[in-house]
Amino acid sequence: MTARKPLLEALVSMLAPSDVVVSCLGANSRYLPHLAVPVPVFALCDSMGAAIPLALGMALERPDRNVVALEGDGSLLMCPNVLATVAACRPANLTALLWVNGHYESSGGQSLPSAPVDWPVLARGLGIAHVERVGDVAGLRQAFPRARDAREPTLLVVDVAFDPSEPIPPYSERPDEIRARFRIA
Amino acid sequence: MTLAASVPDTWIGTLMAAVRRSPAIRAVDAAREEEAVAIACGASLAGGRGAVLIQNAGLFNCGGVLAGLVDLYRIPCFFIVSYRGDRRDPVYYHEPKGRVTEPTLAAWRLPFAIADRGAELEGQVVRGVEAAEKSRGPFVLLISGEDLA
Repeated sequence: MTARKPLLEALVSMLAPSDVVVSCLGANSRYLPHLAVPVPVFALCDSMGAAIPLALGMALERPDRNVVALEGDGSLLMCPNVLATVAACRPANLTALLWVNGHYESSGGQSLPSAPVDWPVLARGLGIAHVERVGDVAGLRQAFPRARDAREPTLLVVDVAFDPSEPIPPYSERPDEIRARFRIA
Repeated sequence: MTLAASVPDTWIGTLMAAVRRSPAIRAVDAAREEEAVAIACGASLAGGRGAVLIQNAGLFNCGGVLAGLVDLYRIPCFFIVSYRGDRRDPVYYHEPKGRVTEPTLAAWRLPFAIADRGAELEGQVVRGVEAAEKSRGPFVLLISGEDLA
């Protein structure tokens, strides 16, 4: 299974000037400040489950921008209902990436409840029609442009390796700094 | 406001019916109240003005997102919350929620006002929105069904 960093690097390399990124807490928010992301980033460091609804609010407010939401499987398992809310709103400019590693990585690597959650089936059942499963960088490079151009809300289910020894950098920005710097032109 | 995210009860549903008639406010039906808070915050961060319309039971669900998003990032967030179980509520089973509403708001340090039916409601909403903007945080306006009559 592919590690998180090359997947994130591939995603960042595909971002367009019209994109906006909302990142869930944990490894994604901790890596992104080190990847020279060329678009506005709102990085969460708490509030599990908030990335997709936060991105939805932005997408509805700014239909001229594509909002890319990064969420973890532990967070979405708390509130999968948000996918129904997204489906009902049908934003043409919301691309969600669900990082699936089966662990609460940022709280010490505990396992999620050990149920074989079928995320694509669940997402489709909640009304998200465009769902793709991604297992490596090549797959992400194909799926992400398709999702962004789909003109409907999309979910990419990204299988990512869980490595408890991965040297994830610590948080490097405070929330007030993130908030102050976040501007959508 | 540019966006109102809501999970309805009887009273909030009445209010949202009015919101839906507004050409200026996008009504968003959320499946759960924490989502509604994040959706409203997203709208505000993107340059709009988001509001949250929910029942007090739903507000009780929102402790985490209020602390970890609204307060942590200092995002203005105006709430209209139906005050079920207060002395004006005719429905008996809401009473336990009424008993803990104001203590919860106080414990969570949420600035709030109880709508005054004797005064114009519009002005109370405007003051609440302005309070949220000024403090860059939450403000809760508690309403009763009587206020909407």
